[in-house]
Amino acid sequence: MDAKLKETILNPIFKGNPITVLVLGICSSLAVTVTLKGALVMALSVIVVCGISSLILSLLRKTIPGRVRIIVQLVVVAMMVILVDQILKSFEATYAIDKQLSVYIGLIITNCIVMGRIEAFALGNKPWPSFLDGIANGAGYGLILIIVAFFRELLGSGTLFGVDILNRFGYVPNNLVILPPFALILLGCIVWVQRSIQKDLQE
Amino acid sequence: MNTNNNVYTVVYTTVIVVVVAAILAFVSQSLKAKQDANEKAETISQMLTSAGYGTKAELDRLDNSAKLDKYAEEVEEAFIINLDGEKVRELEGITVYGPKDLKRQNYNIKGGANKTGEPEIPVFIFKNGRTVVPIYGAGLWGPIWGYISFNSDLTIGGAYFDHESETAGLGAKIKDDPSFQAEFVGEKAFFAESNVFDIVKGGAPRDAEGKSVVDNKIDAITGATMTSQGLDAAIDTWLAAYAKYFLGSEPACNKPCCGGESQDEPCEGNCEHHNEVEE
Repeated sequence: MDAKLKETILNPIFKGNPITVLVLGICSSLAVTVTLKGALVMALSVIVVCGISSLILSLLRKTIPGRVRIIVQLVVVAMMVILVDQILKSFEATYAIDKQLSVYIGLIITNCIVMGRIEAFALGNKPWPSFLDGIANGAGYGLILIIVAFFRELLGSGTLFGVDILNRFGYVPNNLVILPPFALILLGCIVWVQRSIQKDLQE
Repeated sequence: MNTNNNVYTVVYTTVIVVVVAAILAFVSQSLKAKQDANEKAETISQMLTSAGYGTKAELDRLDNSAKLDKYAEEVEEAFIINLDGEKVRELEGITVYGPKDLKRQNYNIKGGANKTGEPEIPVFIFKNGRTVVPIYGAGLWGPIWGYISFNSDLTIGGAYFDHESETAGLGAKIKDDPSFQAEFVGEKAFFAESNVFDIVKGGAPRDAEGKSVVDNKIDAITGATMTSQGLDAAIDTWLAAYAKYFLGSEPACNKPCCGGESQDEPCEGNCEHHNEVEE
């Protein structure tokens, strides 16, 4: 694997993370991180949508008329989002999660990461790197989601993946952690940690 | 290739949209049966929650077929009534009324351009003596619906509500906040009055200990005025449709009512409310 491709994959995970560095997709990261299971399904959905939309649009990139390119992007991303939603609704195991995530699966289309990566990367690069870029950015988003959800579920419900961890030791779940503002506080802490490791991000 | 020419642009977008529409239509059709089965099991778990067979979370741990089995085991009678409270027909097998069926009946109850026939509203009687009836209406962003169960003395035994797209943390509390649903327990519906049930702003009447008094009023949700009003309207509309059924099925009242002024006269109609005032 050449260095450039490696960079495409690794950059969005840490150095150019879509949430903590580009500050995209904040809204849904506050909303879907109450439980780890929800965050995991959301992360996988974004990875799939981001990767496949990037791939499709990269394949079409030379044919897309410049003046309507945003509309074409929207149509493809919307299709992927609806497909993911329909598939989640069809399986017994994921139906309850889909209900819990309710509007947020549909709102993946408004997640700036998806359209942002297509516009910035997929329209100017070959399909394979574009696909990897989409996947990597989805994964970078998902990683933060899972870190936030880990702390919120552990401290807010005393469980992980619904399995009791802290409650058996007499832990009283903290309701503040369940509320969206706490996700913002956690995100702030993650940004803090990242910027103290990565000095070049400091302003 | 000149991709900026007008004809190309129009043809290109048309082709893209048609292809995407075809893919989505195909997927939607092929997955419909599975989605309907999931939805049915979900409706059953909502009804069982309302009827007091466990919390929603407990019931959600069962898989689809276990939910259907539990319903089949616990349901005593399920039938359709008309607005006069008369039984029209039995419901065959495991037939439940999910949001889509309720939407149609909601139009029929309200009348108007979307009416497709006479209202046929379902009644589900469970073996624990509770009667579950559905409600349906408009929230702030989309439909809301739910299931309310009545004990044999017509107090509310439980309630479960669901919604399509109410705001998370505000309107969505009708579904997510068990304490809101718990407020319904022990309240009554005043079937004989025009305002059957009330979700009030500013606090429902409470007794000295801070417990909601037994009447037809509960607290609305802070920050979700429109959803609360929508739920109030949905409950009023639907319970009014069941009024004749519940008033008719009530055991004959032989207590003196109406403040005890007319001790010798037999009671007429719903004396629930009056007895309540008397107490």
